[in-house]
Amino acid sequence: MSTQTVPQLLRQQLAILAESDQRIDGRGRWEMRDIDLEVGCLYNAEGSAKVTWGDTVIYAGVKFEIRTPYDDRPAQGSLMCGSELRPVAHRKYDPGPPSPESIELGRVVDRGIRESGCIDMANLCIVPGEKVWMVVLDIHVLSDGGNLFDAAGLAAIAALRNATVPAARFDVGEDYQLPVSLTPIMTTFTRVGGRLVYDANEEEELGGDERVSVTLGDTGAMHSMQKGLKGTFTPPELAEILDVAAEHCKNLRELVDSKVN
Amino acid sequence: MGGYGDVKLLNDDGTRLDGRAIDEMRPVEIRAGVLPAADGSAYVKHGLNEAIVAVYGPMEAHPRRIQLQDQAVLDVRYNMAPFSTSDRIRPGFNRRSREISKVTAEALASVVLVERYPRSKIRVEIEILSAEAGTRCVGITAAAVALADAGIPMRDLIVGVAAGKVEDTVVLDLDKAEDNYGQADLPMGIMPATGEIAFMQMDGDLSMDELNTAIEYCFKGAADIYELQKAALKDRYDGGVSQ
Repeated sequence: MSTQTVPQLLRQQLAILAESDQRIDGRGRWEMRDIDLEVGCLYNAEGSAKVTWGDTVIYAGVKFEIRTPYDDRPAQGSLMCGSELRPVAHRKYDPGPPSPESIELGRVVDRGIRESGCIDMANLCIVPGEKVWMVVLDIHVLSDGGNLFDAAGLAAIAALRNATVPAARFDVGEDYQLPVSLTPIMTTFTRVGGRLVYDANEEEELGGDERVSVTLGDTGAMHSMQKGLKGTFTPPELAEILDVAAEHCKNLRELVDSKVN
Repeated sequence: MGGYGDVKLLNDDGTRLDGRAIDEMRPVEIRAGVLPAADGSAYVKHGLNEAIVAVYGPMEAHPRRIQLQDQAVLDVRYNMAPFSTSDRIRPGFNRRSREISKVTAEALASVVLVERYPRSKIRVEIEILSAEAGTRCVGITAAAVALADAGIPMRDLIVGVAAGKVEDTVVLDLDKAEDNYGQADLPMGIMPATGEIAFMQMDGDLSMDELNTAIEYCFKGAADIYELQKAALKDRYDGGVSQ
């Protein structure tokens, strides 16, 4: 990227603000931006959600395909989760094959959902050894205003909890609700002005350092973590953000619960 | 236009299967300024179609070989989201989306004052979120609003609208069944203020008389959508919409 002067000035400004524990948009260190969640908003998707998180706008859509099962799990369905950072989302994104950034985003969201075990894969078997459902979850980023990870994670689980298995359309029985028993939630912290803050916006990401994402399940257990970008953190810092994460995850899970059935 | 003749698309009273008159459009909803990261943006819902368009620029044209010395390049991408159709679409460009992107870019270049921005590039990103016949038209309608929202000077807006033929009858604005089983499809990009046509494709079977009727219906539909486009832009700058 060709804009090195601006991040240097921005970094200085963010460091000055951090000295008095301020953020560039006036939020507290652990404060979240305003968010809005809509579910079931897309006509052709079997499950869908739109998340507006500050200046970030993300859709998630769920489709289903019938596949032959994996040899080692003949009676289990499967999940595929992908994301693309298309040029619609920001002037910094170019057209072309998926970038490492978009692959990381899709895989981190995938792990949080997969490892929580929230989808009952045994319930997605049609004919053991022959036909199972593959759940295909696509993350579609339309506006990158920072913290894509948390917005994508929220859109993903909301779309899954909203999804219906289209058995009738595929002539394999009656439609039924995709069995999703848990609501894993991701929270991301970014080093800005030398200290970690929750829910970095676009400017804070541009002038910040490493990011740490944590996905917590309903019981508070951890299902995925990811440290990305250049920078390091300490065990006490991790302990501190895990406490903050627990609180935000609880609130966000209540938001999802209030929007789906 | 396969399989026509054996599927009934008109009711006995002359209305269409969804109850519309033959010259009646599906409901249309337009909003401007929906994507905070973009320089200009628009959302259009037309029947069950939904499109969002982001505009970036004018900006430096990269790579340099795409630059034009006397005008801006319109870099247009039409893309269907993987979950926008009944069967999931594999992400990425295909021949259909490349062709639609090309002719849409040429239509928009006819209305944008590209000569104001030599050697630069204006990016237009058309994302189809939900598809139910006529997405290229919805993309054009949304792109025009997004360009205006970005403050890019234009001679007029463009409205995307289609007419077609079902059961030997010309109808305005084909829905999915009419598109799949009808006899002709004529998507157009109309500049309502000047009365010019900036975009046109057609496939199927139309007589001269039917073509004239179809064009007449398209202009009539375009006039209605044009009012909604202008209202969306006015609403945006009256502070009615987000941001």
